[in-house]
Amino acid sequence: MNNVSSRTPRFVRIGALIGVVFLALPIVGLLKRVAWSTLWGQLTDVATRDALRISLYASVCATLLALVLGLPLAWCLARMQFTGRRFVRALVLLPMVLPPVVGGVALLGAYGKTSGLLGGVLESLFGIQLTYSLSGVIIAETFVALPFLVLALEGGLRSIDTKYEEAAAVMGAKDLTRFMRVTLPLLKPSLVAGLMLAWARALGEFGATITFAGNIQGRTQTAPLAVYTMLESNPEGAYALSFLLVAICVGVLVGLRDRWIGGASQ
Amino acid sequence: MTVTRESSALISLEMANPCWDFSQTSLRTTWSSTDGVYSLTVTILARLRSLIVVLAVVVGVGAPVRAEQIQTKRITITVSAAASLSKAYTEIGKQFERTNPSIKIRFNFASSASLVSQIQSGAPTDVFAAADVTSIDKLLATGNVTKRPKMFARNSMQLVVKPGNPLRISSVADLPKASVISLCAKAAPCGSYAATVLSRYGVATPESKISRGIDAAATLNAVSTGDADAAIVYATDALIARKSVLAISIPVGKNVKASYGIAVVRGSKNSKQAEMFVSYVLSPAGQKVLSNFGFLAP
Repeated sequence: MNNVSSRTPRFVRIGALIGVVFLALPIVGLLKRVAWSTLWGQLTDVATRDALRISLYASVCATLLALVLGLPLAWCLARMQFTGRRFVRALVLLPMVLPPVVGGVALLGAYGKTSGLLGGVLESLFGIQLTYSLSGVIIAETFVALPFLVLALEGGLRSIDTKYEEAAAVMGAKDLTRFMRVTLPLLKPSLVAGLMLAWARALGEFGATITFAGNIQGRTQTAPLAVYTMLESNPEGAYALSFLLVAICVGVLVGLRDRWIGGASQ
Repeated sequence: MTVTRESSALISLEMANPCWDFSQTSLRTTWSSTDGVYSLTVTILARLRSLIVVLAVVVGVGAPVRAEQIQTKRITITVSAAASLSKAYTEIGKQFERTNPSIKIRFNFASSASLVSQIQSGAPTDVFAAADVTSIDKLLATGNVTKRPKMFARNSMQLVVKPGNPLRISSVADLPKASVISLCAKAAPCGSYAATVLSRYGVATPESKISRGIDAAATLNAVSTGDADAAIVYATDALIARKSVLAISIPVGKNVKASYGIAVVRGSKNSKQAEMFVSYVLSPAGQKVLSNFGFLAP
């Protein structure tokens, strides 16, 4: 270890240090603005509690929905040759590069009640309105989070040597057994990484949510929307909620540190 | 989150690369291991080398152009203005630049409340134009503005609904019929004006029906492009969006007088040019543009 670190040039180490400061400073700045004495009161405020509840619920639902849609998609992209594969792959990447607000406008074009391609049908046949509803929040978050999961799973599936699955098949394992006992354990690291990325993206989602699902306190106002809305009217509340979001994210990162942060160095 | 942004940015660059289908090579080596994102970054960066070279060339070509600009130096002033002024001020700005070719105007449109906190936290601003008086009073109190604001326009509120008025809303009193009402954030001037109108009608609207727009423009968009049933917005914004929403006027007795104020921000490095812009807004030419966009005389 010592040998390696002494060979690292000084400018690299200084660059790395600047990088660390660059990332840490905003977090320190945020902590400095938090009014610790009123923190608990702010966090137990109705608006804050509603926003947290909606954010956690919607981001977990969106991650699960992304898994349901993303796994088959990743499977086909990784293991099938079909015409239009490149097109599908570009389509999967698109929400990742698209500004989220544009994603929200696009979702309105598809699922909006009055102007959407499918929204009017959903409303008249089933009485479902996605816009300004919690389901709308989940849809918006799934739209932006799906690409992260598909990319991670596709990479994982490619890296699995198919001979293990073939061997299992020869030994008579059915499709589901083979998937649960062979593919899934091999896929686990990519799956965890993909779920993490997708969940983090869903939790931080702002633009598509406010455009598609609106900003209704207690109904569609997620934590990022609440932070932005409160910034002028109740800055202390906004900082308190921001602090809690940082704490949740750090908590999740620490919880997964073995397979995510520090895993590589061992 | 940092990890997410980073990989998203890198993969977006990858799309610009002709050989962007990196599925065969890079991903195989990356996501399989637990340090996936890091090695993905490294792999993609390596494959992006040619693109980086191209970018460097483009930047290099750009440099001489910048040198020319310095010779005919234009002074740029930043005007932070309420979102409801965006169309009218963009037009005034064009005319002002035509009559004063040595000055360039950079606009920053947002809700007046956001602009106040931006200016208080030191955002470089030369002129502030707000949709109410209280916003500028806040800046007077903190010393960011030293002179009393000049009133340059007046506005009122209107109720807007979907074209064809499917819910048959004929006045603010009918708002309980709507399932989603779009209103500005409480701290924004248009939010407090809407609250005043609602209280003058004695209409109680539960927060669970109100979607809060971050500024006047976003609030109107919720009805024009989104699925909100109604919104209380500025008459001027309703006029701009007359093709996509139906406006219903609110009688003077229950309406508000939204007075717009403008002031030079203390610490402006170009206060002379900033004063020139303020005078232009107050001049007959500036007032004509404002009235074309539906604003009333102050």
